[in-house]
Amino acid sequence: MSQAILKTEALAAGYAGRIIAEQVGIQVCPGEIVALIGPNGSGKTTLLKTVAGFLEPIGGAVYLDGRDLSAFPRSEMARIMSVMMTERMATDQMTVRDVVSLGRYPYTGMLGRLTEKDQGIVDRALTRVGMTEFSERIFNDLSDGQKQRALLARSIAQEPKILLLDEPTSYLDIYHKLRFIDILKDLVSGGEMGVLMSVHELEIAYEISSRVVCLSADGHIKAFGTPQEVFSEQVINDLYQLEPGRLRSMYGGFLSAIKAEPSAPDQEE
Amino acid sequence: MKKRTITIYLLLGLALLALAVLNIHTGSVSLSPGEILRIIFTGDRSQQSGVIIWNLRVPRVAAAILLGGALSISGFLLQTFFSNPIAGPYILGVSSGAKLVVACVMIIMLGHGMVIGSLGMIASAFVGSLAVMGFVLAIATRVKTMSILIVCGVMVGYICSAVTEFMITFADDSNIINLHNWSMGSFSGITWSNVRAIAIVVLAGAVLAFFMSKSMSAFQLGENYAKSVGVNMRAFRIKLILLSSVLSATVTAFAGPVSFVGIAVPHLARMVFKTSKPIILIPGAFLGGAVFCLLCDLLARNLFAPTEMSISTITAVFGAPIVIAMLIRRKK
Repeated sequence: MSQAILKTEALAAGYAGRIIAEQVGIQVCPGEIVALIGPNGSGKTTLLKTVAGFLEPIGGAVYLDGRDLSAFPRSEMARIMSVMMTERMATDQMTVRDVVSLGRYPYTGMLGRLTEKDQGIVDRALTRVGMTEFSERIFNDLSDGQKQRALLARSIAQEPKILLLDEPTSYLDIYHKLRFIDILKDLVSGGEMGVLMSVHELEIAYEISSRVVCLSADGHIKAFGTPQEVFSEQVINDLYQLEPGRLRSMYGGFLSAIKAEPSAPDQEE
Repeated sequence: MKKRTITIYLLLGLALLALAVLNIHTGSVSLSPGEILRIIFTGDRSQQSGVIIWNLRVPRVAAAILLGGALSISGFLLQTFFSNPIAGPYILGVSSGAKLVVACVMIIMLGHGMVIGSLGMIASAFVGSLAVMGFVLAIATRVKTMSILIVCGVMVGYICSAVTEFMITFADDSNIINLHNWSMGSFSGITWSNVRAIAIVVLAGAVLAFFMSKSMSAFQLGENYAKSVGVNMRAFRIKLILLSSVLSATVTAFAGPVSFVGIAVPHLARMVFKTSKPIILIPGAFLGGAVFCLLCDLLARNLFAPTEMSISTITAVFGAPIVIAMLIRRKK
């Protein structure tokens, strides 16, 4: 496997000296998606914020492209790492294109003007997420699913080697969830970029990640490995403190209900 | 740049020129256009007409342009800071805070037979602006609702105005009449040395604001995003507050508190330019504010001539309905 683009060593993350997650050792390589799962309050977002450099590590270290994060000037960091979190925005009259263009921020001059090359990169990012036809629409008028794709295009335009995502699919309907993860898979398939994303939907973590990090309620890593290694009923039950059999009864019941539905009446012979 | 943007800049430029000419032309002493042109191009101040043009009308027009622009940019910066289009130096009480400190300093200085210079006025106003701004920010850390913050700002404004009026009423000096006019808002009585000080502070502030437009556009996509691309949020916030305070303080120092321009003009600019890009809106708001204040000053001087109305009366008549319309539209 190629060298890790992002690595943490014995990382302790938290606010104002209060540790929320500790002894975190994870790594993300180019070409892979690493999913961060765990119950609410386990520190997924805090961990992502620390990896993004918004919070100082309380202990341990984060290495980006082999260098300690604290040694990076922020502007240089932004050319390697892109961050996409759910947050309050004041986009007002901004078009989708305006939003995606801001992905070029680390590359533009003092006034942020785009060169023709930048415009081309923005065009390709829009195509990549299937938003070209929406490029002149007002960002605020889009559906949640379209907004997430536009924000993903912004990150693509940033040309990072590592992309951090905080629960990017949480508010999306099933169509947009699938669409979003398909774009993500396509993005890493070139082997240029790695993704670290926190996610609530276990089935999505299973579907797209090459490795899964399980962060327990007390902020420790319970498991770190391929989905096949990690996803046992035992681990999930422990992680989310579920009653034995509850998970299986829900998902199993749901899936068999779907199977029971005849696909089309006239084909039933 | 888009065609639309250039067209609107040109139209605003033309409106600015036309209104400036109109403002110089009209007044209680009527002068023929030929006479005005002669005076402007020869700089002749030997007759009374020359004195009226050069020492009264031209500096007043210059002040309206610069202060109108300053007020709009000040509002735009505060709106960026609060991520809310309904923020401005007047509505948040900042202008009234500036007014209070300037009035205090003036009354004390006059009482000791001293005169306060242009920069001293700006400095006093700046202190008052920052004091109220600090108070508003302290409230902002406790309440996250913008409407409550605005109500608090309006209340602080009332308190400051009340104290100012109280002091003016009981201060005894022949300059009190001027002080009273000023405390209601007016572009009258501005001298060339005032204009020089205004030009330096306002143009420097406007240029600095313009060069913040890149980080402002990143901040429009959220604080975390701005941080992630390298905006130092702490420095960014401090710069926004200091710049907007300096700009609105300059306005208050010379023209008193001028209402609603800081909210209405940036909003109109967003609508006509159809964009949220600070790099377009900052120059646009400056031009728009200049045009708006020239028009309002023209009306203030001439609607009921020879009686002159306070500038805030006129700006409120045009500005307040725009703000109400904004509030209603946001609720939808």
